[in-house]
Amino acid sequence: MVKKWRQHMRRWLTDKLELPADIVMDLPRITMVGQIHIYVENHRGLLTFSDKEIRLLLKQGQLLVRGEKFVIKTILPEEILLEGKISQVIYIDE
Amino acid sequence: MKNQWMNLLAGSVRVKAQGKGVERLINACVRNDITVWNVKKHGDHIATFFILLKDVRQLRVVARKSDCKLYFVGKAGFPFFFKNMLTNFGVVVGACFFLAIVFLLSNMVWGIEIKGAKPETEYRIWKELKQMGVEKGALQFLIDDPETIQKKLIDRIDTITWIGVELRGTTFYFQVVEKNEPKEPEKIGVRHLVARKKAVITDMFVEKGQPLVSVNDHVTKGQLLVSGIIGKEGQTTFVPARGKIFGETWYKSTVVLPLEATFQVLTGKYMEKHYIVTKNISLPIWGFQKPAFRHYEIDKQKRPLRFWKWDLPIYYERVVFRETQEAKRSYTWEEALAKAKELAREELKDKLPEDAAIKGEKVLHQARENGKVRVELHYQVIENIAIPQPIVQGD
Repeated sequence: MVKKWRQHMRRWLTDKLELPADIVMDLPRITMVGQIHIYVENHRGLLTFSDKEIRLLLKQGQLLVRGEKFVIKTILPEEILLEGKISQVIYIDE
Repeated sequence: MKNQWMNLLAGSVRVKAQGKGVERLINACVRNDITVWNVKKHGDHIATFFILLKDVRQLRVVARKSDCKLYFVGKAGFPFFFKNMLTNFGVVVGACFFLAIVFLLSNMVWGIEIKGAKPETEYRIWKELKQMGVEKGALQFLIDDPETIQKKLIDRIDTITWIGVELRGTTFYFQVVEKNEPKEPEKIGVRHLVARKKAVITDMFVEKGQPLVSVNDHVTKGQLLVSGIIGKEGQTTFVPARGKIFGETWYKSTVVLPLEATFQVLTGKYMEKHYIVTKNISLPIWGFQKPAFRHYEIDKQKRPLRFWKWDLPIYYERVVFRETQEAKRSYTWEEALAKAKELAREELKDKLPEDAAIKGEKVLHQARENGKVRVELHYQVIENIAIPQPIVQGD
């Protein structure tokens, strides 16, 4: 109940004060360069990884990326740069 | 993202991880500040990735907690490149050869510059230098050091008064100051000639001035011999008195000579040893046997070795052992006496000017004490006793 109310509060704040949503709400920021690169900031760790699929833990839910020939170019505690041929980016709610 | 060049410089390792939970291993790595890149999956339970060489130990610690087995499958970067290079014999030999060449060339004499000398003097200096072995291409530690070269040059070339020798890097700089042959004496001021010491006059050559004494006169020290004031009274003029007044003077000397004495005499035989010396290690490079002499003198010469433009803390040392011999000398009474007289005479001659002559000698006293001969001698000497005394023209 409290958690939901806080979520509402934050959304309201970003709307009214024009603050960046990824900072205030701790959301992932995903940058893609065509199909070849995907750059995810603010992730919470690697769940599964294969050359066709990668699953990242987020603060809320998970992010699933599908494609071919995946290579993790760089991985840092909150950032990841993935290379390959990306076909799908899917949010999975718990 | 970190620069790939830095990774190349620091060296990186390709790791193959096998087992369940490869993802968890990677997460753990990332949280422990291990930089991971180029992660690839080969099949279900095998992943490969790169880490920095310095993180290998840390990775092992992390991997212990996981279910993965690690294999190191590849290496890249400068540290490995360097290691590979060392195993390549040719490269190592080449590098050593290069260092040796640079070392050799830095210890050579590459230039000789002579400044301030007339052409003929310069030619003589070149010749002397060549004789000493100082020329282009000579090894610096095999020739004399600058001080010795300076001394030798000054000794051997009489037309130079002074020569500055400086070794700057691989070039010798010679700064020459040539002797200016003395010009005719400056005009001398008016003066008298007075007696230098007590004497009986034996001969007189007066060139200028009014002689006040004559032959066989007894003069005392400071007595006026030739006056610089000439002319009749009332019409006197001043001239610089010039001339030589020879007088008989007397000297007394005492010589003490031991009847028996031992000396260390160099026999002329010598042997050399060469060392490379650092702060506390000295490494012989030539001349390994002990000197075969019973008594010897040691002469050490130390020169720093150079590399590029620096003096290394390594020295080349040449040690020369010169054989000495103990020589005993013993005189009989007569011999000692004669020797003492000779010595006394030599000593006196050194003291006297060149135009002086010893006329006679007399032994005043001779005694033998504690194995020594003690002789007192008396000499009669004919010498020029005149010394100038300027006339102070007051008022």
